[in-house]
Amino acid sequence: MTDKRMTGHVPGTIVLWAICILFILVPLASFLAYGFLPVIDNAIVYEPTLDNFVNIFSNSSYRTTFLRTMLLAFEVSVFNFVLGYATAYFIWRRPPAWRNALVIALAIPLLMSYIIKIYAMRGVLGTNGLLNSALLAFGVVDEPVSALLFNLTAVRITLSVVLLPFMVLPICVALERIAPQVLQAAADLGASEIQTFRWVILPLSLPGAIVGAMFTFVLASGDFLAPELVGGIEGFTFGRLVFSQFGLAFNWPLGAALSVLLMVVALAVISVARRLSNPRWQS
Amino acid sequence: MDAPDTDSRHEVAGDRTPLLRIRGLGVRFQDFEAIRPLDLDVLNGEFLTVLGPSGSGKTTLLRTIAGFQQPTAGRIEFDGRDIADVPINRRPFNTVFQDYALFPHLTVRENVAFGLRVRGIARATRDARVEDALGIVELEDLGDRYPAQLSGGQQQRTALARAMICEPRLILLDEPLAALDATLRRQMQKFLKVVQRRSGITFVFVTHDQSEAITVSDRICVMRSGSIEQIGTPRDLYYRPRSRFVAAFFGASNILEPCRIESTGEDTTMVSTPFGTIRVDGPPPRVREGLALAVRPEALVPAAGDACNRIECEVVSVSFVGSETITELEHSRTRHVLTMKTRSDPSTRQPVVGSRLEVGFDAAACALVKGARE
Repeated sequence: MTDKRMTGHVPGTIVLWAICILFILVPLASFLAYGFLPVIDNAIVYEPTLDNFVNIFSNSSYRTTFLRTMLLAFEVSVFNFVLGYATAYFIWRRPPAWRNALVIALAIPLLMSYIIKIYAMRGVLGTNGLLNSALLAFGVVDEPVSALLFNLTAVRITLSVVLLPFMVLPICVALERIAPQVLQAAADLGASEIQTFRWVILPLSLPGAIVGAMFTFVLASGDFLAPELVGGIEGFTFGRLVFSQFGLAFNWPLGAALSVLLMVVALAVISVARRLSNPRWQS
Repeated sequence: MDAPDTDSRHEVAGDRTPLLRIRGLGVRFQDFEAIRPLDLDVLNGEFLTVLGPSGSGKTTLLRTIAGFQQPTAGRIEFDGRDIADVPINRRPFNTVFQDYALFPHLTVRENVAFGLRVRGIARATRDARVEDALGIVELEDLGDRYPAQLSGGQQQRTALARAMICEPRLILLDEPLAALDATLRRQMQKFLKVVQRRSGITFVFVTHDQSEAITVSDRICVMRSGSIEQIGTPRDLYYRPRSRFVAAFFGASNILEPCRIESTGEDTTMVSTPFGTIRVDGPPPRVREGLALAVRPEALVPAAGDACNRIECEVVSVSFVGSETITELEHSRTRHVLTMKTRSDPSTRQPVVGSRLEVGFDAAACALVKGARE
């Protein structure tokens, strides 16, 4: 088998590697390389330095933005971890026909344009939006709340809603993989529903939840569109900072250096999640 | 059920009381009757096997006892108490599942400890009992492994230890050996039997394999299309089947029918069959119609001049299969077929194909059974 894989498909393997290197690694590397070039008098100088990174780490407003973004991504991940788990558990407990319908309903937004979803959220959160109408109708508030839009809370809500499928789907997959007999065995051995959940269902589905949290964190920490469109001045995030260097300031090297930082964080989160989501028993 | 055999030997050892008393238990899935209302007593401390082909309702019966399936009729009493409303996790017995259903995220030790953990047994007691249980199933050295790192037999033994840890009085086993290879299966059969004897726990064991049932059981309950066909000791079912189905299931492949009773004596019955008149020993049958005569292939003896039942045949084929030789015979007059199984012996000549051979069998070696038409 191994022999055949090594010798029989050499051309195929080369093509695959070439595609990966040419279309993914080379553009990424060349882009990241900008981070090591200084800008003098609005022109890029091709002499590698670490100036951009020194600049980033010594600038307190960059640091604050970075920390604010990490906290935001963390908050969204934790919130969605709870909400997503509850949603997935609810779906899993439905009869099979319902379960499939709900999973599809949940996956539909993934096929929609990201911008449309954010604008939809803007409609929901606005002064005349759905949320305010609901709050008024139920008498929770007397007049529309304007604090729901153009601040960090709006970003938190929008990202939570938009990224929820990324949390729910991996948990659904993990729950789906639990053999019904295993749950019967737990009941047979005397476990109550709560004990079965605590000692069997939760540990068996946790790897899926960790993958979901990883997706949420990485996507939330790098996002710039949602903060841009619903965040206002308060919701200035690291993603917007990167975006501004490319789109507004035309300082590509600084933008690239900021991206490197974001990528390092993403890779660190992914590697931690990978370790946590592959427990020893899964071999 | 009007069995031709009056011998009701299936009530073994009269002083033993039923641990599980099943009365009129039925399970219906919409139009399909998985279990037709049936009665069954499981005696305290016995190894009872529920045997039947797939679709006979044996697994449904076990799942209903365990509580995974709601009965649509009847009662199940455990130790004199109706357990219909007792939820699965409060039923006083445990199950060994067909595919073991071990907790994949727990080690062998943690799997075995599960039943004690949910009962809030203190750690020290728990550990000691887990070690004991691991000792019984000979898994002391593998306690820290995960199920994925175990062989089928080891998983099987973990499942057994896990079911035994809470010292239930009854363990239900759902085809627990089906996934094992033949050698391991035989080992595990012996092992199960030994564990059951030593622990004194009542076992209700489901299988479709008649030789397995014979090896392990005190009693066997044969099921067919949702009903109990016959209950008895392995010897009963082997030598005194009451229906053609049970006879064939236990390998009595010579079914002589149609049969007609010619005369009955106190302990013998003369039966007219396509092979001539045959003498059958044993009490006379209760019914006289729709009978067949079952004769085990190994009961046939070649050239047995002194046997009371003799049939003149022609040898159709001879196959040597090692310790045994199987000879296909055809009745000289009616062309009906018989199978004879003899112990292979290097010093005697094999029958020659095409030659005539008189075979005989003892009057005690055959059984009158319910025929195909019921």
